[in-house]
Amino acid sequence: MRLRFASFLVLSTLLSSTRTPAAGAAGGGGQAPGATAIPRTPQGKPDLSGIWQVMNTAAWDIQDHPAQKGVPGGQGVVEGNDIPYQPSALAKKKQNYEQRATLDPETKCYLPGVPRITYMPFPFQIIQMPNEVTVLYEYVHAVRYIFTNGTAHPRGHIDWWLGDSRGRWEGDTLVVDLNDFNDATWFDRAGNFHSDALHLVERYTMIDPDHIRYAVTVEDPKVFTKPWNMSMMLYRHRETNFQLLDYECYGFDFEKYYPYPETGAPK
Amino acid sequence: MTIERLIVAFGISAALVATAMPVAGQGGSGAGNRAAETKPWPPDHLPDGQPDVQGIWSAVNGGSTSLTNPISGQADFDRRVTGVEPHVPSRIIDPPDGQVPYQPWAAARQKQQADDYDHPTRPEHIDTQHRCLISGVPRLYYIVPAFKIIQPPGSVVFIWDEYHAYRVIPLDGRPHVGPSLKLWMGDARGHWEGNTLVVDTTNLKGARLTYIGDFHSDKAHVVERLTFVDANTMRYEATIDDPTVFTRPWTMRVAERRRPDAEMWESACYEGNMNADTFLNTETKKQ
Repeated sequence: MRLRFASFLVLSTLLSSTRTPAAGAAGGGGQAPGATAIPRTPQGKPDLSGIWQVMNTAAWDIQDHPAQKGVPGGQGVVEGNDIPYQPSALAKKKQNYEQRATLDPETKCYLPGVPRITYMPFPFQIIQMPNEVTVLYEYVHAVRYIFTNGTAHPRGHIDWWLGDSRGRWEGDTLVVDLNDFNDATWFDRAGNFHSDALHLVERYTMIDPDHIRYAVTVEDPKVFTKPWNMSMMLYRHRETNFQLLDYECYGFDFEKYYPYPETGAPK
Repeated sequence: MTIERLIVAFGISAALVATAMPVAGQGGSGAGNRAAETKPWPPDHLPDGQPDVQGIWSAVNGGSTSLTNPISGQADFDRRVTGVEPHVPSRIIDPPDGQVPYQPWAAARQKQQADDYDHPTRPEHIDTQHRCLISGVPRLYYIVPAFKIIQPPGSVVFIWDEYHAYRVIPLDGRPHVGPSLKLWMGDARGHWEGNTLVVDTTNLKGARLTYIGDFHSDKAHVVERLTFVDANTMRYEATIDDPTVFTRPWTMRVAERRRPDAEMWESACYEGNMNADTFLNTETKKQ
């Protein structure tokens, strides 16, 4: 626990000293003076509540990728595009890619892990309360609690699909520290993967009422040689009466056994 | 026969539940021995006018073995071992006889499904809950796992401690989604009448209501009344109208109790679950 906290401190220092100013200089990294006022909670924090979705192709591949049949081409969401795999891990990534049709955990309909669930092609709803930010995902009705009451991660290690999320506010940015992952999820459909040593730091920064800059630092000493970053935009759904529907991935295969629309006698 | 029933009852529930249990046990509903914190009554009102009933709740006598004789899972196991049939009051308060007012074909189908549950030979004989499929509304209000109520401005949100199930109920009077959309949790619209949350739910998929094969179709319309009677007690009533299955609307009532506040942690169910078809009686299947 103490070690993990120490590494988190180092990581945060690293981030605040190098990455944040760079992002700010690039524009759009923070709220520029004169930008549209963002919604705020009674406590004065940015109010992230609403229904959000990405508009990118990271679900297929988080790195740059040309179009293929059924796969829209896309600019990657990995800063610098390269992922610093250890040599053996890079070999495994390539193997994952070759066998993605059967190995990708998404094909089994399991909870897809973080941050992958953020950039799957489904909306999700953030419900922000003072001590807890709850994220409801349309995909398999997944639920994630981000505890923002100052509590630490539970004593671990715990194998969770979506990890354990503890958040805090750094100015107007919600910073979420995640650990306690299992090793059974991938980052995308291209075979990018991690181990159970995965440690993430997510940053949610509202840049105007309808856009959140979402950045993730990925650290996994069993798979990567150094931490690396993803960055993308979350867009607010503004359609009238827009709401989450459902995508019960594993339910589709079972629906045929429970045909209650059919009102005939049982077979 | 007894052994077979025992394997069905114990095998399925114990083996399937065992995989999810360690995680679930660490979640919010696990802290059952602590008394719920004292909440103010009458309740505080939130800035949008809603009575504040937030927290963790669950059925006093949870379990969806049966609606008409809602014995616990333990009692269901015991009766299979001892052969002694326990009887507890029906959850159904209307009609007065406490029975589900099935149309004749539907009554036959329910009975068949009850028999199939005891002697499963085909995939459809396994209850949906044992497959980790979302039990939907109203079944999720009389299962054992707890749920959490959150009240952000303009809506009431229910999140269950297991099955990763939730529902967001808008209070702004917006219309239901289009009728061709069928949803595992249905489409809910709510409003408060004093300390009673009234929820109108349409767009449901057809679903099973109990282990013994009670069911409704995708034509069901459910109206729920969640009456908060004191700081720690809620009376849940659901009226189901489904003219394709029942002869008349009928109403169930479930007592719910506040549970201690605690962090709810991830509960995976389908993930890593054993294939429920493993429990099918393959000997019978061959015959």
